[in-house]
Amino acid sequence: MHDRSGAALDSRAQQDLALDPFRIAGEPYYRPVAHEVALFEAAHRSRMPVMLKGPTGCGKTRFVEHMAWKLGRPLITVSCHEDMTASDLVGRYLLDAVGTVWHDGPLTLAVRSGAICYLDEIVEARQDTTVVIHSLTDDRRILPLEKKNEVLKAHPDFHLVISYNPGYQSVLKDLKESTKQRFGAIAFSYPVAAIEAEIVAAEARVDRRTAATLVNIGARSRNLKGHGLEEGASTRMLINAGLLVGNGIALAEACDVALVLPITDDPDIRDALRAAIAACV
Amino acid sequence: MTGDETQDGDASVGVGTMRGRAPDAVLRAAFPGDAYAAWLKAYRRLAGAGYGGDVAEAYERQAPDVARLSSTDVAIDLAASVSNMAIRSGSRAASQLPAATVVAAKRLTASGALRRWLRLIEQVTLQAPESMVPILERTDYLLARLDLAGLESWLRIGVRTAVGDAARRLRFFTLEDPEAQRWLQRESGEVGFLDLEGRLKPFLSALWGISPPLREVPAGAPENARRRPGFDDGVVRMPASFPGFVAADSEKLYRAAVAHVGAHHRFTRKKFKLGGLRPAQVALVSLVEDARVDWLAMRELPGLARLYLPFHVAQANGPNTAPSLFARLSRALIDPAYEDDNGWIDKARKAFFADSDALSDQQLSRRIGDLLGNDLGQMRVQFDAKGYIVQPPYRDDNLGLWDFGDDDQQQAVEAEQIVESVRIRTEVGEGGEPQRDDADDLDEAAGRASLVEPEMDGMLAGRYPEYDYVTGRERREWTTVREYTPRRGSTEALLRLRDERADLVNRLSALIRSARVSRTERLRRQPEGEFLDLDACIDAAIARRIGEPPSPRVHGRYERRHRDLSVLLLLDTSQSTAEKVRGSGRSVLDIERQAATLLAHAMSELGDPFAIAAFCSDRREDVRYTRVKDFGLPADLTTYAHLAGLESAFSTRLGAAIRHAGASLARRLSYRRLLLVVTDGEPFDIDVEDRLYLVEDARNAVQGLNRMGIDTFCVGLDSTADSSLGRIFGRRNTLSINSVDRLVDLLPRLYLKITA
Repeated sequence: MHDRSGAALDSRAQQDLALDPFRIAGEPYYRPVAHEVALFEAAHRSRMPVMLKGPTGCGKTRFVEHMAWKLGRPLITVSCHEDMTASDLVGRYLLDAVGTVWHDGPLTLAVRSGAICYLDEIVEARQDTTVVIHSLTDDRRILPLEKKNEVLKAHPDFHLVISYNPGYQSVLKDLKESTKQRFGAIAFSYPVAAIEAEIVAAEARVDRRTAATLVNIGARSRNLKGHGLEEGASTRMLINAGLLVGNGIALAEACDVALVLPITDDPDIRDALRAAIAACV
Repeated sequence: MTGDETQDGDASVGVGTMRGRAPDAVLRAAFPGDAYAAWLKAYRRLAGAGYGGDVAEAYERQAPDVARLSSTDVAIDLAASVSNMAIRSGSRAASQLPAATVVAAKRLTASGALRRWLRLIEQVTLQAPESMVPILERTDYLLARLDLAGLESWLRIGVRTAVGDAARRLRFFTLEDPEAQRWLQRESGEVGFLDLEGRLKPFLSALWGISPPLREVPAGAPENARRRPGFDDGVVRMPASFPGFVAADSEKLYRAAVAHVGAHHRFTRKKFKLGGLRPAQVALVSLVEDARVDWLAMRELPGLARLYLPFHVAQANGPNTAPSLFARLSRALIDPAYEDDNGWIDKARKAFFADSDALSDQQLSRRIGDLLGNDLGQMRVQFDAKGYIVQPPYRDDNLGLWDFGDDDQQQAVEAEQIVESVRIRTEVGEGGEPQRDDADDLDEAAGRASLVEPEMDGMLAGRYPEYDYVTGRERREWTTVREYTPRRGSTEALLRLRDERADLVNRLSALIRSARVSRTERLRRQPEGEFLDLDACIDAAIARRIGEPPSPRVHGRYERRHRDLSVLLLLDTSQSTAEKVRGSGRSVLDIERQAATLLAHAMSELGDPFAIAAFCSDRREDVRYTRVKDFGLPADLTTYAHLAGLESAFSTRLGAAIRHAGASLARRLSYRRLLLVVTDGEPFDIDVEDRLYLVEDARNAVQGLNRMGIDTFCVGLDSTADSSLGRIFGRRNTLSINSVDRLVDLLPRLYLKITA
């Protein structure tokens, strides 16, 4: 929280009110794997835009939530998709009874009020959409709202974070070179077995042995990346399997539900996965 | 045959022809009452027919057994069957039929089954008279695996696949034809490697993170290699089937085998030196090593124990012979619950489990194996190295564990060659079919057509101008492009590549899938459509309030873009492509064809029409152009064989090749046409002195193509030619790769990118 005083108080208070839903109340569980917390804090201090790279379900989003909580900043998350336009990010004029009213988009809200703006899976958005962030991610730190004829100077606390999954689709969908070069990147991957087991045990509330077995299973499925699977089972999937186990489902069946069936439709791969799971138990 | 003999023994029976005949008492007992007379009549008719050999005797000898096992009626009717058989198939088959009937009677106990079998045999006699001897000889073998219906369909398949060719039928029914084995396996419900291949590969990858090519052991391999899995130099061999196991067990056995081989990959770090070890020691070191890797594997994957242990069935009370001792030792080293009071096994067990940390040391196997081998010698237990087969069946043949020194490396190479020759033979069967069609055509055209074939080589395909940059003019009809028929090479290496780079191929397929389902595009501000365009609506509403006429274009809709694209891949095969790429034993051309293989695979999945051609040049009169694959033909084994048949030779007259390729692309009616050139250097030919001349000509050729609306793109495999390739194709349309190896990976991706 910042000191506030005098006339600024009203508009400040209003902004804070708008941000309230975006504040993170309790500590989101996050188990640091390497130096990512320190790295993020350092980047945040200078408001350097950060790119989180890594496969799905390895904890990128959880990490941002954790950092937002730790730094005491509101977090505005936008899940990017193919049809997203620049006005979906920036905002647009809408009509009401008296005339047109400008509505800030999520990015503008974050810029105006000093939140962490997290653009999840940014490659999914079209390249011409993502260029709107360019002026925010260099030393200008401004957001031109052309329709409104306004140049918005970013709040000192505004921080932009994007996530990026450099998976197989990066050939067809990739960030522009000019976009990539504006970010510092922190690489994420599935944690080493011991830490991942700790995470699974904590999140799914299962005993360490079950968690270790689940992690072992996860490692087997990741061996199949590129050999029938596009991605191995994520930590998230392992936690889901653990949750089912915690609710009294047998391990093999839990893995079937949480892992084998969602991840592939190829009967041979399913069969191989099930056999590999049986070998782990 | 006299009817009044009642004594036992041969003495009273007529001599000579009656050798080995059944005593009359036996016959009377088997054919009680009236049946005896009926039998006698049948026998006499058979004996009187004069089929020669010992047809009648064989019948007489076996008839009582048939009567006992089945019924007197069947035994009596058998005489007619034997007679039929003698007429159709000869006396040898006929004299085998009675004994085969006894065997069948023991197997087919259901009522009427034996009769049905006899009828089936009679039918087959009509269709495959020459094969009856092998079929009857194998009665027990066949009926042990097949029920009557299975046997019937197997016999029919044999008759049908041979399409009237008696020699082929004989090969089938003597089981020399691997097809016969395969069908037998299928009819018997046995699960073979080919049924499971698709699941075993990902299983192996999942467990151990490796994906070596899995191959079926060729039918021509020696017996012990055929019965056990094996591995060597990155290739894993699996038996075609594990006979005698029911489907569910077979599957488990294959799984266990794959898991075990993977465990070797992980835990057997170095091959053992053969040194002066005796065969028994080699076998024992291997056995202990097998147990060691299985232990380490089970430590990591505890569920493997459930997979492995059921196959260890050796019992402690077996004889103290080498095969029994070895099987028990295998079990003792893996099954903690197993008890065996044999001192030798106990000693091995103690040494093996003395220190659980020592298990991770491969030398442990060597030490224990040596020790046990010496003891075995002192115990005077004979070890038959030739007949030794590793137990239990999921364990590998151990050849991959040993470094046999140079001599045996040679053997390994030879073994590989055997594998290859087998493959090639099958390929000719598959890919050769179009050729056979050609042959038919030749027959029809009678001789005249045969003249066309040699003419095809170096046939004039076109004359093209060349651009002289000094004068700024084209020299008309300056170069002559000749088309050469592609040679066929061995596709083994390329198919192996596809296996080895399976991850890449899979990734490509995934990419292709996402590219092929061309992305939908959202069209905004349309006069009609399936949704309202919010921004346009707001604009329209604002316009109305202001009092301006609003735009009616407030709708949006989704539309798919279509791919309509023809691609020609042009490969440089000049002499310089024969050079070896640094750090790998392969030449530039090798890598070109590998990249082309993967690209062909990718493009055929995409469904884009594409062609592959190769070029080199020997002066302007002979620019050599080879059509590896034409538009409209499928990318099949022929394509790969043609790619494999390319050879490096001569020079690089790029311009002429581009013009010729452009001419064939120009005939395509696609919306987009793309020429993709892969070259390892700048243009050059021995009749041109000026370095720039051919560069400028090629540039001119590319511009010509661009005018026709054909896009060009070049991948340069040599960084030194960078500038000239950039000059020819334009910098945006050139990509140079320093590490040629990357081409294999890059070309298909590049293709997707420029055509997306």
